[in-house]
Amino acid sequence: IPDSGHKYYLQFTTEDYKSGENAGSCLATVLYPKTKSPPVVTIKCMHTKDQKQIEEEDNRLYQKIRHQTKPIIGNNIPDSYGNIEPALEPVWALAVAGSSYIMWEKSAENLGYFMAQVKSVKQWIRKDDFTEFDYTVLLHEIPTQEIVSCHMRLTWLPGHPLKVKYFCASDNQGLEDGSGMESGSAAGVLNERGANF
Amino acid sequence: LQLDFWLAPRGLGHPVDIRVPFPSLQPLKAHLEANGISYSIMIEDVQTLVDDEQMEMLRSRRGLPVSTNTFDYATYHSLDEIYTFMDLLVSENPNLVSKLEIGRSTENRPLYVLKFSKGGTNRPAIWIDTGIHSREWVTQASGVWFAKKIVQDHENNEGVASILDKMDIFLEIVTNPDGFVFTQTQNRMWRKTRSRHSGSVCVGVDPNRNWDAGFGGPGASGNTCSETYHGPYANSEPEVKSIVDFVKSHGNIKAFISIHSYSQLLLYPYGYTTTPVPDQKELHEISKKAVAALSSLYGTNYKYGSIITTIYQASGGTIDWTYNQGIKYSFTFELRDTGRYGFLLPAKQIVPTAQETWLALKVIMQHTLDHPY
Repeated sequence: IPDSGHKYYLQFTTEDYKSGENAGSCLATVLYPKTKSPPVVTIKCMHTKDQKQIEEEDNRLYQKIRHQTKPIIGNNIPDSYGNIEPALEPVWALAVAGSSYIMWEKSAENLGYFMAQVKSVKQWIRKDDFTEFDYTVLLHEIPTQEIVSCHMRLTWLPGHPLKVKYFCASDNQGLEDGSGMESGSAAGVLNERGANF
Repeated sequence: LQLDFWLAPRGLGHPVDIRVPFPSLQPLKAHLEANGISYSIMIEDVQTLVDDEQMEMLRSRRGLPVSTNTFDYATYHSLDEIYTFMDLLVSENPNLVSKLEIGRSTENRPLYVLKFSKGGTNRPAIWIDTGIHSREWVTQASGVWFAKKIVQDHENNEGVASILDKMDIFLEIVTNPDGFVFTQTQNRMWRKTRSRHSGSVCVGVDPNRNWDAGFGGPGASGNTCSETYHGPYANSEPEVKSIVDFVKSHGNIKAFISIHSYSQLLLYPYGYTTTPVPDQKELHEISKKAVAALSSLYGTNYKYGSIITTIYQASGGTIDWTYNQGIKYSFTFELRDTGRYGFLLPAKQIVPTAQETWLALKVIMQHTLDHPY
């Protein structure tokens, strides 16, 4: 758009991160202003999963985490060979959700990310019902191919937005706040596929 | 007395374990008894234990492979295991397979290429390389599978057997062995070579930015610490130079396929410029067929197109150089997946990935055979 920026029209399908099942389709527009300020996004999705099912899965995930007798700790998830210990899967799922906020904020018109690995995770036990985790996640940056290390502090309770505070090694800013606006669900994380420009 | 303490003295009340050489047995026993120190024998003869262990290790599956038929293709292997696999494949099929050393890496590791040939002299050939970026583990693992597959097709007179009647296949499985070892010992995410440059603390050059095609232009970095550092000059990396020398001296390579992961893409030149290659239409058609063949096995979705339009601008890339050398059928694959596991692809996906990719490779090889130039 002359003198304004670049606008993209997207139509894509989403899939459940865990099962790979189709989770719905979305229509979105993304406007990258010439001024390099954050992009303007409009999005509308049709979910194939109903809210109730999502809530149930969230609760199951939550209970799994709460039922641990000791604070969860882990390293290298997945490991070098792509393995994820079943006991650490919930914690990986949360990392994916939390990292998506970081990637959302860091992405630009020509800079994208994938979560490459959870380098370490440590759970902080709280007196209230919230679950809290300290992560070091590695993000794979495209097209630079760099591996960016981010420290992420994540807090979650089903029915509440995921709270994410992070600091990435290449950042010069202070602790970034990536808290979500809508209710976050970690059980059915959306993964974009088939974007059409 | 040459006593070898396996559990060193720590203080009063703590046991001490000692391995005693035979000639020192009597003197030591005498000394202990004279001082009222009680002892017991834990191992009568350490040597027999050592001998047993040696035999086991030689026989064992968990050690180096003993035959390509018992080799586990569904797991990731070390460099030594892969190099042993190569030797086994050659010794099992001496009339088809030979191993060539095309050069040495920065850390002086041999760079091996397997040659599959039914004879002739300098027949038109197909080149496949995997593992140029060391962290892309599914590629080296697939390369191992491809090697075995070629041999099997030949034995059963199917698949690529007809291609081998007229053409040779060259396969470099571990194109970046220094990087590969580094991913196994130090940093699983290492991509580049391990060359050092004076004046910099950072190590390594991106071997897929080091070729002499648009070298140093946009799409690579001049920063030694960057993952896409192009190197001080084109072909500075021995891993790259040896392939360049090989290709030039062979002079009859007709298809060149360089394999990476991840993203699920089939790409043809150029990466360094938006100018389409003269053979764009044909390469696009081949890609379409190859991708269709790949998807037919497990439904894996691939996109295809030129590097610059499909992925991003990249200069000094392998297939841009090979294309400009006159190797029309130059392709790059980005194998599974699309980011969920990325470089850390679970081992159980190795064989399915290799199988589906092989179908695409066959399309390219067949087309090359059917369209001599």
